[in-house]
Amino acid sequence: MASVDQALSLLSAANNHGDLAVKLSSLKQAKDILWTIEEIGLKAMENCTVLIPVLLALLRDNDSIVARESIVSGTHLFCGVLEEMTLQCHRRGKVERWLEELWIRMLKFKDAVFAIALEPGPVRTKLLALKFLETYILLFTTETNDSDRLVAEAVPSDLALFTIGNRRLFNISWVAGGHPVLDPVALMSDANKTVGILLDFCGRLHADQLSYEELLGLDIAALVVQTMGVTGLDNLLNMFIQMTIYCLLSSFLEIAVLVVHDDLVYIHDEWYIEAPIMLKDIYVRSLIPLEKDIVSANVEGMLLLNDSCKVGEEYPVRVIIVNFMIEDWASLASVARKRPLHYGTILSALLDFDQKVETVKGRHAASILYSLRTAFLGFLRSTYPTILESRDRLIRALRAMSAGDAADQAIRQVDKMMKNNERTSREDDQSTSQSVLGDQLRKRPVPMDNEEQTNGHEMAPKRIRYGPNTSTMPLQINDSDKDSALVNGASANVHLSDSDLTPAEQMIAMIGALLAEGERGAESLELLISNIHPDLLADIVITNMKHLPKSSPPLTRLGSLPVTQQNCSPSTSAQVVAPSAPVSSTQGPFPVVSASNLSLSDTTTVNNFAVDSKRDPRRDPRRLDPRRTATSIGVPSVAIVDDHGGMQPEMDGSVSFSKPSPLPVVTSVENPLEPFMSNSKCEDKSLEGPLVSETDQISVKEEIISRPEEIVPMSEANASSDHAFSPPHALDEGSIVLKVSDFEVASGADTLSAMEPEQLSPDVSNTSLPEEICQVDLPQLPPYVELNEEQQKTVRQLAVERIIESYKRISGTEYSLTRMALLARLVAQIDADDDVVVMLQKHVLMDYRQHKGHELVLHILYHLHSLTILDSAESASYAAVVYEKFLLVVARSLLDAFPASDKSFSKLLSEVPFLPESAFRLLDDLCHCDVFDSHGKEVRDGERVTQGLGAVWGLILGRPNDRQAFLEIALKCAVHSQDDIRAKAIRLVANKLYQLNYISQNIEQFATNMLLSAVEQPASDIEPSQSGSTDQREGEVGSQEVSVSGSQISETGNCENDSMKGSQSLVQSVLTMPLPEAQRHISLFFALCTKAVHRHIPILIRALGSSYSELLRIISDPPEGYFLFMTYADFGFVSGKVLQILTQESTPSVNLISTVKHLYETKLKDATILIPILSSLSKNEVLPIFPRLVGLPIEKFQMALAHILQGSAHTGPALTPAEVLVAIHDISPEKDGLPLKKITDACSACFEQRTVFTQQVLAKALNQMVDQTSLPLLFMRTVIQAIDAFPSLVDFVMEILSKLVSRQVWKMPKLWVGFLKCVSQTRPHSFRVLLQLPPPQLDSALNKHANLRGPLATYASQPSTKTSLPRSTLAVLGLVNEPHMQQPCISSLHSSGMDSSAHGANPA
Amino acid sequence: MKLRYAMVCSSNQNRSMEAHSLLKRHGFDVSSYGTGAHVKLPGPSLREPNVYDFGTPYKQMFDDLRRKDPELYKRNGILPMLKRNSGVKLAPQRWQDNAADGSFNVVFTFEEKVFDMVLEDNNEFCSYPVHMLGNYSLLAIDEKSLLIGISYLHNRDHVLLKSVLVINLEVKDNHEEAAVGGQLTLELCQKIEAVESWEDSIDDIITAFETKHRRKLVYSISFY
Repeated sequence: MASVDQALSLLSAANNHGDLAVKLSSLKQAKDILWTIEEIGLKAMENCTVLIPVLLALLRDNDSIVARESIVSGTHLFCGVLEEMTLQCHRRGKVERWLEELWIRMLKFKDAVFAIALEPGPVRTKLLALKFLETYILLFTTETNDSDRLVAEAVPSDLALFTIGNRRLFNISWVAGGHPVLDPVALMSDANKTVGILLDFCGRLHADQLSYEELLGLDIAALVVQTMGVTGLDNLLNMFIQMTIYCLLSSFLEIAVLVVHDDLVYIHDEWYIEAPIMLKDIYVRSLIPLEKDIVSANVEGMLLLNDSCKVGEEYPVRVIIVNFMIEDWASLASVARKRPLHYGTILSALLDFDQKVETVKGRHAASILYSLRTAFLGFLRSTYPTILESRDRLIRALRAMSAGDAADQAIRQVDKMMKNNERTSREDDQSTSQSVLGDQLRKRPVPMDNEEQTNGHEMAPKRIRYGPNTSTMPLQINDSDKDSALVNGASANVHLSDSDLTPAEQMIAMIGALLAEGERGAESLELLISNIHPDLLADIVITNMKHLPKSSPPLTRLGSLPVTQQNCSPSTSAQVVAPSAPVSSTQGPFPVVSASNLSLSDTTTVNNFAVDSKRDPRRDPRRLDPRRTATSIGVPSVAIVDDHGGMQPEMDGSVSFSKPSPLPVVTSVENPLEPFMSNSKCEDKSLEGPLVSETDQISVKEEIISRPEEIVPMSEANASSDHAFSPPHALDEGSIVLKVSDFEVASGADTLSAMEPEQLSPDVSNTSLPEEICQVDLPQLPPYVELNEEQQKTVRQLAVERIIESYKRISGTEYSLTRMALLARLVAQIDADDDVVVMLQKHVLMDYRQHKGHELVLHILYHLHSLTILDSAESASYAAVVYEKFLLVVARSLLDAFPASDKSFSKLLSEVPFLPESAFRLLDDLCHCDVFDSHGKEVRDGERVTQGLGAVWGLILGRPNDRQAFLEIALKCAVHSQDDIRAKAIRLVANKLYQLNYISQNIEQFATNMLLSAVEQPASDIEPSQSGSTDQREGEVGSQEVSVSGSQISETGNCENDSMKGSQSLVQSVLTMPLPEAQRHISLFFALCTKAVHRHIPILIRALGSSYSELLRIISDPPEGYFLFMTYADFGFVSGKVLQILTQESTPSVNLISTVKHLYETKLKDATILIPILSSLSKNEVLPIFPRLVGLPIEKFQMALAHILQGSAHTGPALTPAEVLVAIHDISPEKDGLPLKKITDACSACFEQRTVFTQQVLAKALNQMVDQTSLPLLFMRTVIQAIDAFPSLVDFVMEILSKLVSRQVWKMPKLWVGFLKCVSQTRPHSFRVLLQLPPPQLDSALNKHANLRGPLATYASQPSTKTSLPRSTLAVLGLVNEPHMQQPCISSLHSSGMDSSAHGANPA
Repeated sequence: MKLRYAMVCSSNQNRSMEAHSLLKRHGFDVSSYGTGAHVKLPGPSLREPNVYDFGTPYKQMFDDLRRKDPELYKRNGILPMLKRNSGVKLAPQRWQDNAADGSFNVVFTFEEKVFDMVLEDNNEFCSYPVHMLGNYSLLAIDEKSLLIGISYLHNRDHVLLKSVLVINLEVKDNHEEAAVGGQLTLELCQKIEAVESWEDSIDDIITAFETKHRRKLVYSISFY
């Protein structure tokens, strides 16, 4: 008290004194004293009331330092008051008057500080004021370091201990009492308002904030604020560790809490992070009935929160950031990094700000930029998935800041770290069995810390709580607890790794191992969890669900508040309230421990629960077992002991089982043992035994270490002896059901009334009793109520529905995977209820492609299927039913909803794990079934058939196991009576399916059978000229033929004889059928034949040999009806092939030649068919068809050319090369109807074969041609080509040219041009020829090719030449023996002559 | 108003000590630290530095190096520097381990890397209730280590919400530059000291300084 007085006087002195120094020192002293006060005890706080006005006054002090100091002091006090108030409220259910007053004054203080923050003023004061603002918001949140710090500072020692253990001294959830002053709603809405203030303050609203503002108006805003606080961790790593561990270890716990507890305000603070949020979302949504007003309001609030959390919870942070950007932008980086979860918004805000840095006036831009840079780099170094996703953006931003190198480095660091971590975690995993135990024992404290941090409030309070009276002890308790828990975890790990585990359990084990690794493990864990597949994550969650208590754990949380009281009350209440309710209440602590410990899961526990859930959980004898009650009362803190202890009675006293289980417990029991021993005398003996022995064990650590080996066999034995060991699925179901029911009861008063009477009555008594007994100290004990089938169904349905609802609104893909996985599991646990299926189907369909309905469906189906495969017969068949139903519903709805062109249906069927019979039927119906409905009206549209067939095709390719069934569907369609369906199917079968080796034979068989059925039918019906026996034989033959054409080429020749006949007669017999019917049956066959022939005929024919006359006959005279089924093109192809092969190895026989010739002349005008026999044709035979050959495509012509030149051994080549050339040149485009181009191409083709078309050949051909009466059009072209190809031909060519001159080539205009060109090209050799031209022509030539004149004149002026030239020629050349002066005259004459000649000859 | 200054470089030998010594001579309340894992001094070659732990007295280093190669270390200025340092304080101190020294008002760093570390470090300790250590130190240690997995603690004053100005002035790690850097630091400190509230005028100070000396500064504000 003295100190208080002293503080007061100091404060007033500070207030009144004019001198700054005095003021300050007074204030500081006062502050110190305030501290002391807090340390002395809360009682002193009573007197603080007087201090507040002083503080308020000081806030407005002119000196900013004073103002600052008072803010600091006030902050401490504020938190302290809040804390004390909450505690009082919880302990005594009321708040003392003085405290209320104090609080009201503190609120005034708060307002004053807010005012400072928002008004213009000195920065240094504002800075702190803003900090307070932030603190204030964070205060009504959880897991915020700021509030922790603030609060912790202000509370007395015992509380501080509590705080530290808990790490959440205050959060709004404590304020559950509905106290007028301490009204959570008011507080939160106040925090909400504060956000609004900040919002106004920052004045930088973005578009997305507006929508959020509307949300702010709602109650949920407070929750948002609260949620925000969750992220107030100071670095990414920790945040992440915390999050991940939360996810894994405590999410289920939280869910359990949610489920069983009706006080939802309290739930809010569990709303940490998105993954758990999702889980909780699921369960909250599924389990909270909406009847109860408050509850539903809260639920709705939460749901809203949840739905808007992406936007919402980030918002305040952003406000603060923006805020800081303006006032205290320098701490930008730290602010940003503190809240990784809000990363997305922060990032965009920061990036946004990045752009605006330039515009920030009066600020040091470089520093702001640097802060941004630091923030970005910090993000980059994080492995948090969402941050990883935005790497590119970050890097871009950093590059823009020219910090690209730093960015690269950061990325390298992260990558390296991730790799290392992966390796580490792998190693960890592997080494578990051997060394981990020791390691973990050594490293124990750290992992526990982690766990504690993350699990935080769950773990720690529990430990401390149970030794509350001995407040000197907590430290030790803490320590020993850690030890024990770790040992527990470690041993669990060890024997876990040895036994058969599901992946989820392995993963849990690995997580446990990583936890045990401590800091290093934390990194790995972070990585590990970020990489966990959503399915696995869901499994882990579900696996952990097994460790949920069968009763409500709320006491853990609420009970954790009244630290000291807890001790005395539970035992009494438990005893009184027994039998069922107390179990839940006292068991409270259990789930916490078990969740965390068991998530490091050990098999024995799993087994237990398996056994457990096998039985009807609602009739679980344990619930009524008094011993169980005693156990749970006695060992509240020893979660696992409780767990196993509770098991014992059920285990038929199996010693082997009970022994291992206590082991883990041992450690954790040690300290609490003492208090509870004394407190609860009603303990069962069986319980006491193990406990005591355990304490012994713990003292000998080696023993514990050696234990695991023992445990392994034990657990095995346990499992083996446990005949009803059931797979995880059953467990899930059990636990879920339990939870569902628990919760339902807890939250719904209305549901209660619906309960069966005999269940109802105990429940009622339960609910009422605890209230009386525990009074205000203990929150209401949620009663345990059993649901009837109907109710359970409803609840489950609600669950799915809610998930679906929220699913719609969540845009990010990040958690949708997990969501899917969970949904799948939920569906698996729900009865094959039509409503649910329909609901899902609707949801899935609604946006099948955009919202990944397909993925969801597959998720669900795969999950169901895995259950079908893995589970016991009972649940398997059950899962199978659900599977089938769901698949069909979805498939049908896909068909109905989407156009036929949509591939979703096909994709679905292709990708589902398994197709039940009904799916085949569906497909069959789609492709094939009645085209006409009952009224004979056509109902099927062809596109659907196409769709169905497309699906079938895909399925045949993609689902080998069911190939046969799909093929049957397709084949059935291939003989469909409706033409277009059949055509489609045949196209599919013949073009696509038949090419698949693995089914071609089946197709053949089917086609053959169909063919035969078609043949036999008319044979019996119509009875043509042939006898029945013939028919039969034909049938056989037909089949042989098919097989031959198909694949069995080894058929011998004599059989072929038959087959040929057979096919022929078969065709005939087919023709006797009514055509449509026949076509229906055989079109597939022939389609196949065509394909088969194309494929196999070469081999077949080679086997037949070319002398086979029948074949020739068929070729020459294709059977009637052949072209019914085969096109001429097909026939041409086939025949061509046949001939090609027949002639390949031996000389074609005369028969063949004549046959082919005949065929060519009569049926096929395609000269291609002649090519194979060309070599056997004589010159006279070839020449007539030669133009046709030239008319063929160039490749074929070349082939033909080869055959012609090759000739046969006997006759020699049909044409010599020279003859070929001549023949080509003899072709007249007009007469033969060939484009000139073809002819020139043919020429070129010849010239290409220099070895064949040698210069001698060319010379010979040219010689022949030049002597022909009419020169070929292309003659000069060929001459030029020849001399180009063979320059040595020049002399020969000159002779040709001379001949041409003599033939008055100038009279043939086309050739004349070529002639001149050639002359020009071959000068000077051509001069002699030129000079042979008559002078006019020479003149004309020289005019056209003026460049010739000079050289030619020179040449001509040679005496030897000159003399031999006629004067006229010389005149043209200007070489007439005139005087030299005449030269110009001559030249002019010449030029005039040139003109005239140009005039005449060259109008162009 | 007297501010507390901290000079931080990586080895607490050259740059921070130069500034430390200069500021000390001018009557500032100044400390100095290094953020490196060890104290590194140049050795006979680039690959053979002399490595000491923080806390090794300068004198001891001095003796060690003088024993090894007096000529070399005299020539490259190491011995004179160590001598100077030992006149300023006993041994190099590590920034990360300076918890007992209380909080500073202004922290100077001379290298971006160091600046980052100081900020990061500061973020860590400022967010944690280390000030509670007084009574519940053991628990607090526990708490802290479990939270951030870092073994060191900053046992600062019990002052909460105390802002700290962190300024980075890029200075090359050689004797000449360190001398220049020391002068600049002194000037800046004098400027900061001269104003009533650095929070309100830091931008002006920094900007004016940059203009005058054509040197780039970066600063940030953290909280204890």
